[in-house]
Amino acid sequence: MILLEINDVSIDYRTEHGTLRAVDHVSLHVDRGESVGIAGESGCGKTTLGLAVPLLLAQNATVATGSITLDGTSLVGLSEKQMDPLRWTKVAFVFQGAMNALNPVQRIDRQILEAITTHETSIDAGVAHKRVLDLLDSVGIAPARASSYPHEFSGGMRQRVMIAMSLACRPKLLIADEPTTALDVISQAQILSLLNQLRRAEDLSLILISHDLAAIKRVCDRVVVMYAGVVVESGLTAEIFGTSTTAPSAAHPYTQSLIAAHPDLHGQRVLAEGLSGHPPDLSQVIVGCRFADRCPHVMDVCQRVEPTLVTIAPGHVAACHLVDGEAS
Amino acid sequence: MTNTPNVLEVKDLVVHFPGRRGEVVKAVDGVSFNIARGEILALVGESGCGKSTIAMSVMQLVVPTSGTIITGGEDLTALHGKALRQARRRIQMIFQDPFGSLDARQTVYESVVEPLIIHKAGGSADERRNRVLEALDFAHLRPPQRLAAVYPHQLSGGQRQRVAIASAIVLGPELIVADEPVSMLDVSARAGILRLMVDLRDRLGVSYMFITHDLAVAWVVADRIAVVYLGRIVEIGTSEELVAAPAHPYTKALLAVSGGDDRTGEIDPVSGEIIEVLPGETPSAAKVPPGCHFHPRCPRYAELGQPEVCRVDDPVLHLTNKSDVKSQTHEVACHFPEEPI
Repeated sequence: MILLEINDVSIDYRTEHGTLRAVDHVSLHVDRGESVGIAGESGCGKTTLGLAVPLLLAQNATVATGSITLDGTSLVGLSEKQMDPLRWTKVAFVFQGAMNALNPVQRIDRQILEAITTHETSIDAGVAHKRVLDLLDSVGIAPARASSYPHEFSGGMRQRVMIAMSLACRPKLLIADEPTTALDVISQAQILSLLNQLRRAEDLSLILISHDLAAIKRVCDRVVVMYAGVVVESGLTAEIFGTSTTAPSAAHPYTQSLIAAHPDLHGQRVLAEGLSGHPPDLSQVIVGCRFADRCPHVMDVCQRVEPTLVTIAPGHVAACHLVDGEAS
Repeated sequence: MTNTPNVLEVKDLVVHFPGRRGEVVKAVDGVSFNIARGEILALVGESGCGKSTIAMSVMQLVVPTSGTIITGGEDLTALHGKALRQARRRIQMIFQDPFGSLDARQTVYESVVEPLIIHKAGGSADERRNRVLEALDFAHLRPPQRLAAVYPHQLSGGQRQRVAIASAIVLGPELIVADEPVSMLDVSARAGILRLMVDLRDRLGVSYMFITHDLAVAWVVADRIAVVYLGRIVEIGTSEELVAAPAHPYTKALLAVSGGDDRTGEIDPVSGEIIEVLPGETPSAAKVPPGCHFHPRCPRYAELGQPEVCRVDDPVLHLTNKSDVKSQTHEVACHFPEEPI
């Protein structure tokens, strides 16, 4: 059953140099209880797309095409007043670096309590307080530490508090933007395992936005790879990245280079080639494939014709002339 | 001058800071290692483990509490003024943040020529210009003439880090201290910077002290790896040895999460409990546990029934035959290095 459907969405930023299309006709969906990763490097549009769901886009950004439907409600064009009751209760967002957004002079239990009472004005004080302790417990923070100040916690623990807070009003969908980027490897593993546990326990759907494929591989059922504002590949995580027994079957050269970029401790001890160049300037008209200038397999057709997403295997799509038959 | 093949010898380095409540913060607590000419040594550990403080000490940006840092036959900790400035030329640093480490109002040329001006090196203006262009070319900022004239905001993160590398090599250093040089870059730009570092080692013979939290990256880039925990090196060896046959439980935990094959978050079929990679969090350097610094979180200590020696005696680095009976490079600081856990 589909919880979130993003259909043909484009998002434009007005800038002093004209209009820039950060997200260009992107479609994706998240089923109930499913976890979807959006991967790609800075500027690919993944955060912009995520922010569009709870209508948190910057002032100079607009949804130019398409629709976003969450649990049966169409979101694009809703007023702040209409959207407000849906935030926290239907969809919650954990921002990049969120652990630094806690109020430094307020105890953490008060901060979570405030999130609950703001949205559930008639809630009984005792019930709300119990829920705060339950939430903290669910992220592995003991009741004895509930009345601590943020500075008494490490970065990893503050991130747990933010995740607990995001779940305060029992959202159906949690969108987490780079939730582990600033953390140490061991804390990263702990936070990712926490997200997995919460999904199982709370029947939560999750969108994990990250440049870190290892994080997505660990948590997500499916992955959507974005490049320069478009989806270039999507499919089951186990299929695209491979598992301990199967090789990755990523079809797009960009996905392949992202996978190869991080050394695999189980593989060869070699340094990857890496990509040269940069993504294209999105304020300019782009002809052909957006990845063509950096692609190791570039062909004539790539400079002329923009590839569209084609199905390679059930649920696995990629936009590349190597797989769509245009080459021959 | 001695005839040692080492460009850097750090011995018994201790850096203690006074804490706010009168406690002692033991950021670095007795660290020794050497870096040979043309060698890349990675210091791997989590934030707060002391790896950056070790780098700062080698750069003489913090004053060590005790210990010696020998380069070119001189102990940096005993040098002052002009002699220290001279010695510093041999060691250059690359920082984590290429957006913060370059002056936004300086062209690439001005950034890269600055070390030559400060150290009154590089000869005439023309000779300096040639050295700068050569350094830019070495850093693959091509064509150097064109890139010399641009400002940092016109460059990508990867290109900025190449400018930082050009500034580091322009004085012809023996050692470059690189503190997390790729962790703020996009995934696609990282490999290029790492390849450049290795390439400069091969072409110029420069050595690196490469500081990273990423064991997998250290494995492919470095010749040897030192794993740092709470101000101490807990294990050191060649990259192959350390990854193939880790002897310290902390190294094993780092390897498990870096390789993605730990079972963190899964439910233990026997106990029904959720598996944690390591219990708890790294203690503060102001509250270092007695005995082995790692014992409160150590799965081996728990499995062996909490032996007293771990709580009381501080283990020192000693050779282990975990990877190879004849290994003269693989050392571990653990009372029970042969245990399989």
